[in-house]
Amino acid sequence: MKKAAEDHIKDKRFELLIDLLLADDRQDISLLKEELLEAKNFKSKVDPFVDAKIEDLRQNFPVYFGDTITETIKVQIKESQDEVVEALYPIMGKLVKKFIASEIAKLFESINNTINEKFSVKSIIKRFFKGKKTNAEDVLQEVFEPVVEELFVIGKESGLLIGSYSRGNIADKDMVSGMLTAIKAFAEDAFSKEGQDLEDIKFETFQLSMMNFKSIYLATATSGVLNAEFKDRLTDSLNNLADTILRNRDYLADESKLNNLLEEVLKDLEQK
Amino acid sequence: MIAKKVLLVGNFGVGKTSLIRRFVLNEFSEDYISTIGVRVSSKILKVDSTEIKLLIWDVAGTSDDEKVPKAYFMGSSAAMYVFDLSRQETYTNLEERLALVKELSGLKEITLVGNKKDLLTGDELEAVLGSISIHIDLVTSAKEDDNVEDAFLALAKQSLK
Repeated sequence: MKKAAEDHIKDKRFELLIDLLLADDRQDISLLKEELLEAKNFKSKVDPFVDAKIEDLRQNFPVYFGDTITETIKVQIKESQDEVVEALYPIMGKLVKKFIASEIAKLFESINNTINEKFSVKSIIKRFFKGKKTNAEDVLQEVFEPVVEELFVIGKESGLLIGSYSRGNIADKDMVSGMLTAIKAFAEDAFSKEGQDLEDIKFETFQLSMMNFKSIYLATATSGVLNAEFKDRLTDSLNNLADTILRNRDYLADESKLNNLLEEVLKDLEQK
Repeated sequence: MIAKKVLLVGNFGVGKTSLIRRFVLNEFSEDYISTIGVRVSSKILKVDSTEIKLLIWDVAGTSDDEKVPKAYFMGSSAAMYVFDLSRQETYTNLEERLALVKELSGLKEITLVGNKKDLLTGDELEAVLGSISIHIDLVTSAKEDDNVEDAFLALAKQSLK
């Protein structure tokens, strides 16, 4: 019995010792527990707000930051133009190459079709009797057929539009006639070619031609390749047109009558 | 519809292009755009009961040293000479300048217009007008859209004479 009492005392001392030794650690653990619980509570309270904010940002990102990002990109592009060009150049180059290749393929196809047609027995016999044109002219004319896009009858001094025929959609023909007359006058004056008239202005496959008469001039805009034969036919048609107009001055006073005449002349030219 | 070529002439920067812009497009810009010798604009208007299409040639400069092709002046039915009320050099020798325009265009009458009225006070304007010996048809301000329509109406009427 005495031994049991001693053991009890020993145990108590041991527990006391443990308490003394672990007091600080237990305090730290309880603090940690409290902090953890606090964090958990805080998280559960804050999470819904954070989620809502994230969702709002996700949905309205362009509204909140669109302008800033656009401005930043603009500044960035402006400041690094060379880099942008270097980055885009290979892509653009490929696109351009692809476009040119496809256009050349179309051109080849068109030339092949025309050559096949022109060298058919039927066509050779036809040309044998018709004569004149070379094969190259023939093929070129078929591929890049010349077309009169616009025909203007313009007062030589005033630059006022008297009549017109148009395939395109020129917004203000009067203004175009005025400016054309001004350019004509400017070129003639600038190069001091008195008594000489400006006759042609060329833009790659588009050509403006002017035929000058005493009180009027005829301006034509043609597209396609103008071969010698088409030029001859066009010149003849325009000379005849001017002759008709200047012999019958009623045309100069009646725009719709003149416009009908222009349409007829161009139809005849196409059918020849 | 009758179409008439009319001219607007005068020194550089007197507001010819601004008057045309105000009349044709009802716009005004503070930016100075120097025209490349000539610019043609068009506007349809009614004079009494006659509908008339004005082809307005905005011609820069009038003197020989400014190298304006004489052909710009030919075939015109009326002309407006514009000067800047705030710049004396644009209205000195007005008689000589008007005589030159008459000679080049073959016109007997020229509408004389003083522009940029908005840059002067009432007293200054009176002093400028008093210093000019010939008759001024209209005083305008393209900026404030003052008398612009009337100036072009006068020009249109002149073209019908």
